[in-house]
Amino acid sequence: MSNPPDTSQPIQTRRRTLPYAFAALVSLVGLADAIYLTIEHLSGRSVRCTIVSGCSEVLSSEYATVRGIPLAMVGAAAYFTVFSLAVLAAYSYKWAAKLLMVVVGLMFITTIWLLYLQASVIRHFCQFCLLSALVTFVLTVLIVISLRKR
Amino acid sequence: MKRALPFLIIGTVLVIAVVAALYLKRSASAPVAPPAPARESPAASNGTTKSNENAAADMGANPPHTHGPADAPVTLEEFGDFECPPCGLLHPILQTMEKEFSGRIRIVFREFPLVPTHVHALAAARSAEAAGLQGKFWEMHDLLYENQKTWHDAFDARPIFEDYATRIGLNMEQFRRDSSGEIVAQRIFLDGKRGHAMGVNGTPTVFMNGRELPFESLAVDKLRALIQAQLNAK
Repeated sequence: MSNPPDTSQPIQTRRRTLPYAFAALVSLVGLADAIYLTIEHLSGRSVRCTIVSGCSEVLSSEYATVRGIPLAMVGAAAYFTVFSLAVLAAYSYKWAAKLLMVVVGLMFITTIWLLYLQASVIRHFCQFCLLSALVTFVLTVLIVISLRKR
Repeated sequence: MKRALPFLIIGTVLVIAVVAALYLKRSASAPVAPPAPARESPAASNGTTKSNENAAADMGANPPHTHGPADAPVTLEEFGDFECPPCGLLHPILQTMEKEFSGRIRIVFREFPLVPTHVHALAAARSAEAAGLQGKFWEMHDLLYENQKTWHDAFDARPIFEDYATRIGLNMEQFRRDSSGEIVAQRIFLDGKRGHAMGVNGTPTVFMNGRELPFESLAVDKLRALIQAQLNAK
């Protein structure tokens, strides 16, 4: 909790913090998506088959849970962590920026794996899972931008 | 204050997220009110809702595939897709209900293959309907649901369906002809038309005496309670 905000160079600081502010906002979309999916999973509603999505196949697959915990719940925790770290990074907490990079990196790898599972193993795509993947990709881009602005 | 601001933001979002999750959870698990009594089977219904009026106009395939007495006080009409995993899970539940409420419940099955989400769903529906033309719809229906996983993963499911047809003693030449025939296609189309008229957009969708049951209520205990409540109201 050290490293208080550095206000000596306001414009540069703003440029540096902008990607983190965007990351915080984008992670809220992921958080909302993951909360919705978690509730759908727990209530069993999204296990229903529909014309437009393959959510039932994805969410009823063996990959939808990790040791009994819905993967969407893990995702919600991850997005909240990203939000928290992004907010702290935007307020110039350097340790938060470093940790954010690691967390988003892990989420990126996990997302690639989950997309592979949907495409090649389950052979169905769930639009809410795809939205989550999109959010993670955007977060990754924002983190890369923040690295370049250092 | 400035140092506390990020933590305040994080705390606020955490509280909002928890409240939103609790609200969604509550609305998802809200108790299901028993359907209003009185109406007979959907096909003969004098329902007042738009969906029921539409459904009356779209009767579906005639005659429908039914189990149980025609004058049963409770009719469960299922719109199902043989390749849909939750439909496969509902299958034994409906069988249990049939046993428990024998003579007082009628099951109607309507074809609602979700194409292209499920690649073999249409072929499965065609096989079941073709079996129906030889009076063996329910035998094929049961085999398709009970072995769903086997043919769902197959590249070409038709040989498997033909094997089922052989097992239940169908005339294979007629089965092959009917599977790709116009009568079967028309029956599936009419069931689908009825489903759309009733607002069906996924499977399984079950109507009890013309009223749609929420998906969450299709568990054994909840469904049993709903059927019992309907019978008590009669």
